[in-house]
Amino acid sequence: MEEVIKVEHLTKDYGSGRGVFDINFNVHKGEVFGFVGTNGSGKTTIIRHIMGFLKARQGSVKVLNMDAWHNSCEIKQYVEYIPGEIAFPDLDNGITFLKNYAEMLNLKSMDKANALIKKLQLDPSANLKRMSKGMKQKTAIVASFMADKDILILDEPSTGLDPLMRETFLDLILEEKKNGKTILMSSQMFDELEITCDRVALIFNGKIVDIADINALKNSDVKYYKIEFNNSLDYERFKKLKYDVVRIQEQYNQVTIKISDEEVPNLLKKLKAYDLKFISEVKYNLEKYFRDILSKYREEKNV
Amino acid sequence: MFSKALFKQTAKANWIKWFAVTVATCVMLAIVIIVLGNLGINNIRDSLKQVFTQANQEAYLKDNAVDLYTLYVTTAETNDQMDTFAGMGYTMIENLLTNYDNEVANYELENGVAPDESVKKQIANNIASAFVETNGNMIKMFAPNTDLDELKVLLINVLLAHDKNVDLSGKELLMEGYYLTVYDNAYAIAIEEGKTDDEALNEANQARIHAGEIVEELATVGKQTDYSDYALIYANKSMYNQVYEMQISAGASEDEAKQNAVVVKVLSNTAINTYTLWLTEGKTPEDAKIEATKSISDQIEDEKVVEALQELGNMDVYGLIIGSIFYRIAGLLLPMVFVIMVANGLLAGQVDSGSMAYVLSTPTKRRAVTTTQMAYLLYALFSMFLLVTVVSVVSVWIVGGNNFAINYSEILLFNLGAFITMFAFAGFCFMCSAIFNRTKYSLSIGGGITIFMLVCTILGLFGSDVVPSAMRIEAMNFFNYLSLITFFDTTSILAGTLSYLWKFGILAGIGIVTFIIGVFCFDKKDLPL
Repeated sequence: MEEVIKVEHLTKDYGSGRGVFDINFNVHKGEVFGFVGTNGSGKTTIIRHIMGFLKARQGSVKVLNMDAWHNSCEIKQYVEYIPGEIAFPDLDNGITFLKNYAEMLNLKSMDKANALIKKLQLDPSANLKRMSKGMKQKTAIVASFMADKDILILDEPSTGLDPLMRETFLDLILEEKKNGKTILMSSQMFDELEITCDRVALIFNGKIVDIADINALKNSDVKYYKIEFNNSLDYERFKKLKYDVVRIQEQYNQVTIKISDEEVPNLLKKLKAYDLKFISEVKYNLEKYFRDILSKYREEKNV
Repeated sequence: MFSKALFKQTAKANWIKWFAVTVATCVMLAIVIIVLGNLGINNIRDSLKQVFTQANQEAYLKDNAVDLYTLYVTTAETNDQMDTFAGMGYTMIENLLTNYDNEVANYELENGVAPDESVKKQIANNIASAFVETNGNMIKMFAPNTDLDELKVLLINVLLAHDKNVDLSGKELLMEGYYLTVYDNAYAIAIEEGKTDDEALNEANQARIHAGEIVEELATVGKQTDYSDYALIYANKSMYNQVYEMQISAGASEDEAKQNAVVVKVLSNTAINTYTLWLTEGKTPEDAKIEATKSISDQIEDEKVVEALQELGNMDVYGLIIGSIFYRIAGLLLPMVFVIMVANGLLAGQVDSGSMAYVLSTPTKRRAVTTTQMAYLLYALFSMFLLVTVVSVVSVWIVGGNNFAINYSEILLFNLGAFITMFAFAGFCFMCSAIFNRTKYSLSIGGGITIFMLVCTILGLFGSDVVPSAMRIEAMNFFNYLSLITFFDTTSILAGTLSYLWKFGILAGIGIVTFIIGVFCFDKKDLPL
């Protein structure tokens, strides 16, 4: 598999524990790779290295086998970018900006831009300074998608979009993915990464804690069930069974257990003997997965 | 290395600032030149200057008048003495003349050539000295007032006059000797006063002609015991005639010439009366003359006050206001504000806001970004000063072209200097903008130091040479050492010296170096985009 972005041992120490440390990951061609992490965990720093804005203290960052710092100009022929914090040049309105940007990109046709504007319901003639956060975001999306480049690097691209528009945007990502684009995006929203990404890296305190494979996660044979009992006696009795209890809510007589697919019929048989209020399957998702990982990581590292 | 699209974007973002600053600067300059050109701001200066030239003339005229007066008196007295001397001792003089002729002939026999002027002077000196030595006591007995040294000089000149014209004899010869003495004295005094050789010769000639005139006059006056009244009349008349003729030949009308001549006659009369008054009060003739010829500037005792007033008279008001105040301070202020704002916005402002990401996420090299932004800054400054130059040249043309106090080449050099100064500041602000990622640092260092230097130049103005010493505070000149604008030497441009050229070179060098540093720093640094 061709590796479009290759980051090896990337370290940038800003002192007092800030920065990124020994980052390693690859993004394959045609893959959508996600970054997730708390504020200030280092997502943007990694992205800035890939864009060639920051110079790596240690390690290497390569895009299409070119050094991200030294060949940043050549790389830009294949890469588009949505910055985490959007600020436009000092121009009058969106149209002037998009036209000027197209000129810098040497882009002749504005067809794709117009299609995007229509799709995102953007009014590009609005004054750039007076645009709302969502409008700025839409303009930035149009600007980065209109050149139709192979690699998209998107730093929290969905912030400020309303829920409906976010859906449209995610469709857009999936569409680009279908067209064979390689996409690296960071986000605070697990669900949107789960929908779009093939793999997602969890970044915590400047380090990659885990890289999750979304397909494997979706097809996992582990299930979570939430069970509520009508009386506390049954509840206590059930707790004594040797199931992997993930969560207990005593005031409701409620437990959540983790169980593999094969054991489900067995569980249902046993539950016949209990007075149940309800039983429901809880979807196992990225958020849960990372919560587990993170709590284990914290225990190990004592942080 | 150049991005046309970025250049267009920058030009679009900054053209209003450029337009406002250019128009304001041009209007300010046009008003300064046109208003100054029509106001006759140099009136006060001119009248002060006139006072001092008049004072010098006055002293000169008074000096001449007193000289004529004393010349008259001494000539009259000598003339009387010669009358007695010619009757009494002419045989002795005749002996001296024969002695002299013999000595000259001997010299020619011995050396084979006729003696030259200096040898003749030496021979005359020897004979006159010998005569005074042997006959001195006897002469003192007959005429106790005789100054033997003066007599010796007179005798030498008599011998030399004889040498020039052997036909002269008796009193004529004696008077001819006297004229030579007058001539020599006048020449010596003129040289002592610091006049050139030509001027001294001219004055000596004039004195001799006057002495001749006086002798002619004395023939009609006859022998008197006191000549002072006649001397006064003669000196006044003579001064009057001189001025009258001078005025006529200079093209003045008869009435005008008469009027000025009368003024001079009054001056002459005053000076001579003062002179004689001081003489009777017991002053020596030299001191009396100094008192009599004092002018306004002599009457002001404190030399510093005189100097200050004279300097005020010589001050170049146009050079001060247009050169030192407009081009070095007022006219630079708005372009400076423009450069500070725009230079910051070209790099640091865009990095700080994040909009630089939209430039660098396109296939545009950082080097291309810096060179394009630099090109815009220089283009904006150049076109700004091109317009300012056109406005200044047109304004000078309106107020009289090369007849105006500041001519075309000076005004062009002022504009060039202002542009080069701004080039240096542009380089500095650009460098700060390239080094810092935050607007607050770029502005406070780049803009802060630039404005600081302008303020230093304003303060330094009060200590610089263009301000007359009456208003100057020397200590303030220290501020000039803190400002780059000091290298924009308008004084040198106005004075026509060339020292402004190497100073322009320094400013251009600072601009080039800072621009280059800026370009390299921006290439190498981390950008938080």
